[in-house]
Amino acid sequence: MQSAFLFPGQGSQFEGMLHYLPKDPIIKELLDESCEVLNTTIENLHSKESLSTTKAVQQCLLIASVSTYKVFEKEGVVPNYVAGHSVGAFGAATAAGVLTFKDALRLVSLRGELMQSSYNDGYGMAVVLGMDEDRLTEIVKNFYTDEHPIYVSNRNSPTQITLSGSKKGLEHVLNYVKHHGAINASLLNVSTPSHCPLFNDIGDTLLYELNKLDLKRPNIPISSNRNSRLLRNVDDVKEDLAKSICYPVRWYDAVNLLYEKGARLLIEMPPGEVLTKLANQTFQDVRALSISKTGIDDCLYLLSN
Amino acid sequence: MVLTNTESLERKMRSWTTRLDAKKERVSSVRDIVDGVVIPTNRIVEALERLIKPGDRVVLEGNNQKQASFLSQSLVQVNPKKVHDLHMIMSSISRPEHLDIFEEGIARKIDFSYAGPQSLRIAQMIEDGKVELGDLHTYVELYGRLFIDLIPSVALVAADKADRHGNLYTGPNTEETPTLVEAAAFRDGIVIVQVNELVDELPRVDIPSSWIDFVVVADKPYELEPLFTRDPRHITDIQILQAMMVIRGIYEKHGVKSLNHGIGFNTAAIELLLPTYGESLGLKGKICTNWVLNPHPTLIPAIESGWVESVHCFGGELGMEQYVAARRDIFFTGKDGSLRSNRTLAQLAGQYAVDLFIGSTLQMDAYGNSSTVTKGRVAGYGGAPNMGHDPGGRRHSTEAWYNMMTSDDPLARGKKLVVQVAETFQEANKPVFVESLDAISVKDKANLAVAPVMIYGEDVTHVVTEEGIAYLYKTDSSSEKREMIASIAGVTPIGMEHNPKSTERLREKGLIALPEDLGIRRADAKRSLLAAKNIDELVQWSGGLYTPPAKFRSW
Repeated sequence: MQSAFLFPGQGSQFEGMLHYLPKDPIIKELLDESCEVLNTTIENLHSKESLSTTKAVQQCLLIASVSTYKVFEKEGVVPNYVAGHSVGAFGAATAAGVLTFKDALRLVSLRGELMQSSYNDGYGMAVVLGMDEDRLTEIVKNFYTDEHPIYVSNRNSPTQITLSGSKKGLEHVLNYVKHHGAINASLLNVSTPSHCPLFNDIGDTLLYELNKLDLKRPNIPISSNRNSRLLRNVDDVKEDLAKSICYPVRWYDAVNLLYEKGARLLIEMPPGEVLTKLANQTFQDVRALSISKTGIDDCLYLLSN
Repeated sequence: MVLTNTESLERKMRSWTTRLDAKKERVSSVRDIVDGVVIPTNRIVEALERLIKPGDRVVLEGNNQKQASFLSQSLVQVNPKKVHDLHMIMSSISRPEHLDIFEEGIARKIDFSYAGPQSLRIAQMIEDGKVELGDLHTYVELYGRLFIDLIPSVALVAADKADRHGNLYTGPNTEETPTLVEAAAFRDGIVIVQVNELVDELPRVDIPSSWIDFVVVADKPYELEPLFTRDPRHITDIQILQAMMVIRGIYEKHGVKSLNHGIGFNTAAIELLLPTYGESLGLKGKICTNWVLNPHPTLIPAIESGWVESVHCFGGELGMEQYVAARRDIFFTGKDGSLRSNRTLAQLAGQYAVDLFIGSTLQMDAYGNSSTVTKGRVAGYGGAPNMGHDPGGRRHSTEAWYNMMTSDDPLARGKKLVVQVAETFQEANKPVFVESLDAISVKDKANLAVAPVMIYGEDVTHVVTEEGIAYLYKTDSSSEKREMIASIAGVTPIGMEHNPKSTERLREKGLIALPEDLGIRRADAKRSLLAAKNIDELVQWSGGLYTPPAKFRSW
C-alpha cells in the first residue's frame, strides 16, 4: 500500500503544542536547534500569547511536523509522497530534502512576519461549508469591490472552501450564503487574507529569498498547493513554496492526486488532525491517521508492515 | 484493364504478408527467453521490450472490473529508450500505472472509454501536454474501432488459467477479453496473456490457443474490483420512493420485461422492492423477467422469489461465483458450471434487445441532456450511452417498445425506454437541474471535439425525481419538455420556473405524474419495504451461496 505524509497548516496550532510531540531524542535535538536559530525558548514559542502572531504559529507548525518526520526518517520509514497545506508545504519540502530545516525555519519566520505586517485587522479569512466552488465564485464576484476586495481561496474539500479579503466584504458574503444554501459559514480567527492576490508581494519576496538558497531535488515527490501536480524538480518546488501564499491551496485536488497515484495510507504530522478528518470525510477507502491521535508507534508499525 | 509491364512486375514483387513477416520476426526475437508459449514471470519486462516496438498501438486490458495488472506494472518498467511513443487503447483507465507509462515517456497517445478512477490525473496530463488524447468513446464504439482504424499491434490481457498450449480459461470475468484478443490475433498482432496459474487441464476453453502468442504467469492474481455490490444499508427513503414510482409509473405502465440497471443505489432499491412492493401489485411475471446485468447481489431476492427468467452479464461480481453456478437456469454458464460473461455482447444486447435502460445522473439541463462530468476531471463514458439511447437499427417490437409510439403515422415506430433518475440536489447543495451542463466547460478545458454528454435529451423518455415522473417521450416540443422537467425539478433554478397551474395541466394531460397520481403515499416509502436491508440478509436469501468480499461484511 502506498503512503503519503501530510503536513498541516495554520489552524492546527494550540497552546503548549511542542510539549505533545513524540518522546524521541531526535525531536529534542531539533527543538534545541530551533531555539538556538530563533534565539528564544520553547515556552516563548508556543505560549498562548505568541501563538496569537502568525509568525510564531508558522514556526511552531514547522518545528512540530519536521521534528516528528525526522523520527520516521531515522527509522528508515519513508513515505511514497508528501504534501503540506499552506505553510505545511515548507515542512513537506524539508522532509523531501529540498530545504534544510534551518533554511525552512528562517523562511517561514519571514513569511509569517510579512503576512502579519501587511494588512490590518480589517482583513481576514472565512470558511463556507456545503456550497460548491462555482456558486461561491459567482457570489464572491458579485460582492467584490475595490474598497472591500474578497476572493475564493482554499479548496479544502468539495464542500469546505475558504474566502480571503476584507472582513467587511467577507461578512456580506457570509450573510448572503447563510441564507442561500450554505450549511455553515463563519469568519476564521485570523487577521491575514492568505492565498489570494492581496499577498502577491509576499510571493515575490519569498521567491527572491528562495533563489538565494542551494536547494536540492526532492527525494520524495511533493503534491503541490497551487495546481495539485506532483513536483519532482527544484524550480517547481520553489515556485510552489513562494507563490502558494498568493494563490488558492487546491488541497482537495492535491490529496485526490495522491489517491489516484495509489496512496491509501495517509499519515498527518503533528499538530492536530485537521487534514486527517478532511481525508476521512472525502475519501471512502483511505486510511487516514494523525500522529497526534494515533501515536507514532502505531503509525510506524503500520508503515513498516 | 491492361497492366503495363512495370505495374505487373510491381504487383508480382509486392509482398502481401508484411504484417505476418513482422510478427514472425518479433516472435523469434524472444526465442531464447520463452519456453514454448510461456514467458518466465521474471523476464516479462525484457520480453515486452522485444515484442513491443516504438509507435505500436497497444491494447492494455483495463476493463471495468478485471485489470491485467501484472502486465501494466511490467509495461511501466520497460526502458523508454527501447519502447516509446506507444498509442494505448484502453476501455478503462483504472490503475495508476496506466498513466505512469505516459509520465515515463513510454506511451504518448490514448484512446479510451472510461477513466473514472484516474479522472483528475488524465485531465491534468491532457492540460500539461503529457497525454495526447485520441478520443473518448462508449464501449461498443471503442470495440468497433479495434477492427477499423485502431487495430492493435499488441494486446496485453488477463485470464484465470492457461494450459501449456495457451488455451485460456477466462472464468466468470471474461468481460471484453475475447474481443480485444480477436482484434489483434486475426490481424497478425501479438497477444500476450497474464494468467493466475498454468494448469494441465482447463475447466473449459474460453479462448483457443491459436489466438494466443504468449502466456505469462503473474506474480499475483489480476486485480478485480467488486464494483456492483451495493450494501442495502445505504439505501435511503427517497430512493425507495423513486423506486416505487419507477415500478408503478414506468415498468408496470409500459410492461417493461427486459432491461438493464445501472450501479446506483436507486436501481438497487428497485431490485429489492420487486419481491415486496412489486409482489403486492401482482406484477410477478409481468415485468422485469429478462435482464442484461452483472450479477448484482441485490438481485438475489428477486431471483429467489421467482421473478427472474434470465440474466446475461457484462462481467462477474466478486463473491457471486457460487451463487451463479448454483442458479444455472438463470445465468449464462459454461459446461464447467461457472459464469460466462461478455461485455461486448452484453453491451449489444443492452443496446438492441432490451426494453429499457435506467441510470442516474449528476446533472441535467432543461431539455433532458445529462452528464456525470465534474469540472477539472475527464472521466469518459463507459457503457451507459450504448444502452441509454434509442438504436435506430432496431426493428423488432415488444410491448414496452411499441408502447412508446406517439403517432398514428403509418411508418410510426416504437422507442427504447431510456430513464434517468436523479434527486433534485446532489452534495454541497449543487442543483442537478441546471441551465447549462458542466460538460461544456470540460469540453473547452480538455480541448474535446464535442461536449461529453452522457445521455442526450432526444433519447431520454422518462425523468424521475423525488417529486415525480416526466414522460418526455410524449412530446416533441422542447418548450413543453422544459415545462415538464421544471415541474419535477424541485427548488433548483430550473424547477423555480414552474408554476402550479402548468403543473396541474401537465398532470391532467398525463405528461407528468406525482406519487399520488400513481397511488403511492410518500409515507409508505420506508426501508422496511426492502427485501434485504443489509448484506447479511442478501447472504441469507442466497442460502449462504453468496460470499461477500471482506469489506462488505459487517458481522
